[in-house]
Amino acid sequence: MRPDGSPSSLRDALAAGWRELALYVGAGVVYVAIGVAFPEFLFSWPVAAGYLVTCVVLLPALVRFVRVRTERR
Amino acid sequence: MSWAAHDLEPYVIQKHLGKKVAFVPLLIGSYAPDLMSKWFVYGVGLAGFELKADNPAQFHRGWPGAGFTHSLTFGVLVGLLIYLVGRNKVVAYSFTIGQWAHALTDMGDTVGSMLFFPFTDHLFAVGAWAYAGQTGRYVDAGAYFSGLGFVWDGIFVVWAILSWRVLTRGYFRETVLAADPFWRWAGRYVSETMLVALYRASFFYGIARWTAWLIWAHVVRSFAFDLRWGGPRWVPRIYARDLNQASAAPACRCPGCCSMRPRLGFYGAVAVLAFAKGRSASVRDLLREAPRPHRPRRRLRRRATVRDEAP
Repeated sequence: MRPDGSPSSLRDALAAGWRELALYVGAGVVYVAIGVAFPEFLFSWPVAAGYLVTCVVLLPALVRFVRVRTERR
Repeated sequence: MSWAAHDLEPYVIQKHLGKKVAFVPLLIGSYAPDLMSKWFVYGVGLAGFELKADNPAQFHRGWPGAGFTHSLTFGVLVGLLIYLVGRNKVVAYSFTIGQWAHALTDMGDTVGSMLFFPFTDHLFAVGAWAYAGQTGRYVDAGAYFSGLGFVWDGIFVVWAILSWRVLTRGYFRETVLAADPFWRWAGRYVSETMLVALYRASFFYGIARWTAWLIWAHVVRSFAFDLRWGGPRWVPRIYARDLNQASAAPACRCPGCCSMRPRLGFYGAVAVLAFAKGRSASVRDLLREAPRPHRPRRRLRRRATVRDEAP
């Protein structure tokens, strides 16, 4: 770990957060596909931020929630 | 104008300045000039009416118009205002740095920006890619991503990816959170995962948008690439000299008003020399710090001191 809090190498960073990175890359690929099909989607920063939060925070939280509920039953 | 550079510049600046800048004001500063002007450049529909500037380039970058938002003075004034209200020096100058980055980046197109307004309403332009805001946002996008504009944004895409450390959660906790009061305040209401996602949103937006526009312009639509200076030539473009001559002396010899090529060579040579000088200085420092080769030292004969002789 460096003094600024970041990992000392890219390998360490990927080892710690490859799932998160995959989530962001997946969200990016879908965003690009939607944007190419409907370019109007590309003009708004709030839409992009909302989309990102939905993909990388809300949806995984929802999946976890559903999985926990299913396991309890 | 730039399409992705303004999204990515704050991350590059954050990488270099660390705890010395606050990220949110930096980002707002980077967006501020266009937040106040761009909607009227492209036009918006409101209750059946279309609101659009008669002369979009003049409104966007010139005076009279909203071109003052692209001046260095505007960044300083708003920064001072932020300081007077919040008494936070870091937040104030972070806004100024972000706004200056925007104003300087926008010099790259053929219209440029009024850097020294209100001292002069002269537009300073490098003229590397065509300004085509008056053609509407889709043609403008097609033109921008067919000329050197997309190359310029591409440099920031690469630079931002090379600055990947600033996107890590550890960096956010140790550096971004420590310097920016916004995140500490927001952290009381939302989870850290949400904060990190919001912090990374502009990076995501910049990279994804750059990719999507490039595919849209050249795969979905067939805009022709033209990487010549000031291109693409197929789009009707506006030059700084058109707006400068309308308001100021016609015989202006500044780079924005006259042919850029001879001066570009000179400026390029100066930049290369400055870069080389910086490199040589850093190499000199390295050499100074490097361990010196081992040389057998002559044994110094211990001098007999008064203390040794003392009983």
